Amino acid sequence: MPDAQELESYIRQKFAENVGLSVAELFSDDLTLAALITRSERMTNSVDLMEAFARTSNGLRKEYGLRVRLPALSLDTPVSKVLEVFMAEVSNPGRQSA
Amino acid sequence: MSIQAGSLEQDLEDGPSSTPGAQAQEGRPAIMAELYEAITQRGLSLVDLAWEQQRLHESRRWSVMEMLAAVDFERLGEADRHLVWNAGRAELTTKPGADRLERLADAECRRWQEKDPTVAAIMQACGTWSRYWNEEEAHHETAFNRLSTVMRLEPITDATFIEFRKVFPDDDMLRTLTLLAISEVVAAVDYGQCSQRVEDPGLRALFKQVAADEIQHMNYFIAFAKALVDSGGYQAKEAFAVAHLFLRDGGEVHGSKRERVESRDTHVNWWDQLEHRDGFEVPESLRKKEQLIFHALKRITGITVTSRESVEDTWMDLVGC
Repeated sequence: MPDAQELESYIRQKFAENVGLSVAELFSDDLTLAALITRSERMTNSVDLMEAFARTSNGLRKEYGLRVRLPALSLDTPVSKVLEVFMAEVSNPGRQSA
Repeated sequence: MSIQAGSLEQDLEDGPSSTPGAQAQEGRPAIMAELYEAITQRGLSLVDLAWEQQRLHESRRWSVMEMLAAVDFERLGEADRHLVWNAGRAELTTKPGADRLERLADAECRRWQEKDPTVAAIMQACGTWSRYWNEEEAHHETAFNRLSTVMRLEPITDATFIEFRKVFPDDDMLRTLTLLAISEVVAAVDYGQCSQRVEDPGLRALFKQVAADEIQHMNYFIAFAKALVDSGGYQAKEAFAVAHLFLRDGGEVHGSKRERVESRDTHVNWWDQLEHRDGFEVPESLRKKEQLIFHALKRITGITVTSRESVEDTWMDLVGC
């Protein structure tokens, strides 16, 4: 089982990759999801955002065997909160049976 | 209502339709459910497709004035009036939807013209049909809002009217068509429920007529979406993404009943604007809406799903990592 730091690092990297921004740009400014969509050239709307969450979740499943289902998040949610939600999900033993 | 495909197949087997008397050989007007195949295998032109659209539109036309004349205003209770008022406001958002579809479809047509003429033709057929959609939705909007006016319900201000006419931002065309198909599913089920709740036969007939129109529109959106998937130019994952957007926990299918409705300044989603007042039942039928969405996904993509979870799982598989 990977430690929390490794998982957090993976989620940050994977999510940044999927939205088309750098990890620093995404998390240093703690962008909201609405700001993220505006700043990313790859994203048009919240469906693209959902897909970025899904790809990150699929990556966790493939790399670590962890299954994450994400709730709907409002567009004023900061990415730090997204990270929290992901970490809470991967820390839930019930989720670790992909 | 039931939509049958195939009238034009018979027409083509019988020869060109431009000959005198050809009209007598034409079958029942129908939506071209296998649009990609009709263009690529049977060589139908945009003129042929527009004719089929016109025939169906003409066969379904109805009069708002005649329908309203059959409503007995004295028989309408507070709950009925609330349903009418909500419907009138909701229908205001359809015109910008249709205007946008026409513009987006034409832009997409030009973009595809050199790369894939079949996709360009599908886009142009969709943009052409949007004129009928727009006209039919005008019937819905004016019928309900006229009823609201005559019954002296809370007026819709010009500011609200203009706010509800905001045009949706552009998006991928398959996502757009799937969203419109699902929006029609939700509307059709809601109006079907309304028709069962009201007692006045005239108002019941109006709700039934509008519900039937919405089902017809849903079938058109599904046909265009399926043609895009059949063409290979668009990926099934986009249809599943939109279905998941509606069906997920706290998703769009719950409309204004959601704990948190996204605040937007770009456009108005009609399902976010329905007002639920104390003591009045509101249409819902979530199970029926889900079933129709699953069926739409099957028709658009060929993939069978039977639960909200399987929509999410399928979408995540299609997305990959």
